[in-house]
Amino acid sequence: MRLIHTENLEDIALGAAVLGGGSRGDPDVAKQIGMEALRTSGPVQLVLPDEISDDCLVATSALIGTPMEMVEKLPKGTEVVGAFLALQTFVDRAIDYTAAADGDGLKSTTPFAVAARLRIPMVDADGIGGAGPEMQMVIPTIYGIAAGPMAIADEKGNISIIDAVDPAWTDRLARTICTEMGSTAMIAACLMSGRQLKASMTPGTLTRAERIGQHIRQARQQHQNPIEALRKLTGGVELFRGNVVDVQRRTESGCVRGEATFQGTGKWTGSQLTLRFENEHLVAVEDRADLITVLDPETAEPVTTKNLQYGVRAVILGMQRESPARSYG
Amino acid sequence: MRLLHEQALRDIASGSAVLGTGGGGDPYLGTLVALQALARHGPMRLVTADELDDDTLVVLPFSLGSPVPLIEKFPLGKEMVQAYETINRCLQGRVKAVMPDEIGGINSMVPFFIAAQLGIPVVDGDGMGRAYPEIQLVTLTMHGISACPFAIADEHGNSVVLYTIDNFWAERFARSISVDMGAICAGVAFPITGRQVREAAVLGSVSYSERIGRASREANAAKQDSIAAILKVTNGVLIFRGKIVDVQRRTSRGWALGECVLEGMDSDAAARMVVRFQNENLVAIRDGEIVASVPDLITILDADSGQAITTEHLRYGFRVVVLGIPCDPKWRTPAGIELGGPRHFGYDIDYVPVEQRFATATRATSPRNK
Repeated sequence: MRLIHTENLEDIALGAAVLGGGSRGDPDVAKQIGMEALRTSGPVQLVLPDEISDDCLVATSALIGTPMEMVEKLPKGTEVVGAFLALQTFVDRAIDYTAAADGDGLKSTTPFAVAARLRIPMVDADGIGGAGPEMQMVIPTIYGIAAGPMAIADEKGNISIIDAVDPAWTDRLARTICTEMGSTAMIAACLMSGRQLKASMTPGTLTRAERIGQHIRQARQQHQNPIEALRKLTGGVELFRGNVVDVQRRTESGCVRGEATFQGTGKWTGSQLTLRFENEHLVAVEDRADLITVLDPETAEPVTTKNLQYGVRAVILGMQRESPARSYG
Repeated sequence: MRLLHEQALRDIASGSAVLGTGGGGDPYLGTLVALQALARHGPMRLVTADELDDDTLVVLPFSLGSPVPLIEKFPLGKEMVQAYETINRCLQGRVKAVMPDEIGGINSMVPFFIAAQLGIPVVDGDGMGRAYPEIQLVTLTMHGISACPFAIADEHGNSVVLYTIDNFWAERFARSISVDMGAICAGVAFPITGRQVREAAVLGSVSYSERIGRASREANAAKQDSIAAILKVTNGVLIFRGKIVDVQRRTSRGWALGECVLEGMDSDAAARMVVRFQNENLVAIRDGEIVASVPDLITILDADSGQAITTEHLRYGFRVVVLGIPCDPKWRTPAGIELGGPRHFGYDIDYVPVEQRFATATRATSPRNK
C-alpha cells in the first residue's frame, strides 16, 4: 500500500494518457476530476492486487462518452460517487475497492474521485492495459466478469442501473443512456471479487503509467527528448512521423469514428499513413504493435483524436499492450 | 374489496379501450392476458383507494413503447414480473398493491396479470383516467410525485432502473431504452403511498371502464345502439361519423405516429376529419379546424359494434364514429392543461372542453342510419 498525492497523480495522468493511445477526448478533464477529489478529500491509498483478500468486492469506475462532447460539456466530478453508491445499494453489499476499467487517460484517473471521496482504497490494476472502445473489450469481460450491473450517472443528477444479460447488451443500453445524458457520463461497473480481479486484471498498471509520466516529465526538465526517453523505457517502435493533412470525423451512436491522414517527414518523407479511430486510435496502416499512441514530437504530450487537425505534427509510437510495471524495474 | 370474474375482466378490457383514446394497447390482447391469469390464479381482487392504509406502497406497472410491435411481440411474459421484482427489490420488498398507470386495452389489464401471480390487490384507479404517450403525463406529476425508482425490463432478461431528477428525464431515458429493447418492453414505476393515491391519482377508473364495457355489451345483446350507451355512461359527444380513407402510420422514436383521414357520412357527409395520433389520438381536425384535443379523450369506435379501434389497427375502409369524452377534472386545471394539453404536443391552440364545443345534444344522439 502506498499513498497517492496530487504530484503522483500528475505523472499517472500523463503516463495513462500516453498508454491510452491518445483517446477519449481530453485526458485533462479526467485528471482534473481526480486532482480535485485529492485536493478536497486527501490522498488515496493504492494497493496492489496481492494485498487484497480473495473475497472482497471491487467495482470499476470510469468516465465514458464521446471525446467531442467532452470538449464543451464537463463532468461535475461527483456524479461518479452517486453511481458508485447506487450500485452498492442495488447489490445490497459494501464495495471495498475501486479500480480502473481500462488504462486510458480518462479511465485511469477518474476512480481516484471515488476512492478519495468515499475513502476506500484503489487497486493498482486495470482491465485492458490500454484502451478499447466497447465495454466487452475490457479484460475482465474476457475473463467472464460481467460488466453489469452497471450504474451510470450524469452531471444533472440522473442515475440509471443497467442489469443486462450479457456485456454486449450492457454496452448497448449504456451507450443509449449515455447519449441521452448528453454523450458523457460516469459509471461504476464490473463488480468482481478479489480473486476474480487477481485472475483477470493486469497488475501494476498505474505504477507503470506513473513511471512513464515521470520519465517524460524528467526528460522535459532536463531538456532531453521525451519521445526518446519514452521509447527507451517502453521498448516502443516509432511507426511514423509526420503532419496531418486531412481528418474525417463523425459522431455516431455514442462514438467518434473517423480517420486522419499523415504526410511523412524526416525519414518518412514521401510516404503517407492513415490512422483510423473509434474514440481511440485503432488501426495504423502498417500495424506492428497492438497499442498505438500519437504524441507531440516536442513534448511527448498525447495528441488525442479530438485534437487531430490539419497541420498537427505527431510521432506515432507502437507499444506492446501487456507489459506490467515490474518489467521496467 | 370485490372479486373480479371473467365477465368483469372482459368488460374492463373493452371499456378501457374506449378510455384508451386509441392507445394503451389492443383490448383483445388485454383480455387474453387477464383471462389467462384468471385461469391460473383465480378471481382478482380490486380495492378502492379508501381501503388502502396511508403508508401502503403501491406501484404502477405498464407496457412501455409503441403498440405496433405488440401485434407480433406479445408483451406479458417474464419481463413484466422481472420489472416488478426489480422495483420491489429497490423498495426493500415493501410493495403491497398495484394500480394501472393508464387506462387502455392492455395497460388496464397489466396490473391484474402481476397481482394475480403475486396474490396482491389491484387499486381501482390510475394515473391519467385515459392513456397518454409519455411517462410524465400522469396526474401524479402535477402533485410532484417522482416516477422513480423506475424499473424497465425486456424479454431477453435485461433490466434497467432509473433514478431521474424529474419525470421528463424519466420519459427521455425510458423511451430510448424501450427502442433498444425492441420498441416495447415492461415498465414498473411511480412507487406511491395509499395517501398519495387518494390525493393525486384518478380514482375509480377501473370501475368506470367496467361500466363502459358493460353498457356497450348489454346494448349489443339487446340489439340496441351500443354507441349511444357508451355516450350515456361517459357524457361524451359524437363528433364525427365517417369512413377511413387514409391512414399514415410510422413507428418512430418509440411511438406509433401518424394520422387517420375520415370522409364524412350521414349528417357529416361532405365533411372531412383528420385524427392525429402519437400512440393515442391527440387532436381531431374537422375541415381544417381543431374540434377536439387533448386532454379530452378522442376515441374511434367501429360504427357497428361500438368496439374501440386502437391506432395500430386503423385501416382503410373502416366505418367508424369519433367520440369526444370529457377528461378527468384534474387535467382541466391550468397545471393539467400545461402538462397534457394541446401545446405540449405542438398544437398552438387554447384547449376548449369538448362538451362545450359540441353543446347541442342533437349531435350526440343522431340516429344510426344503416
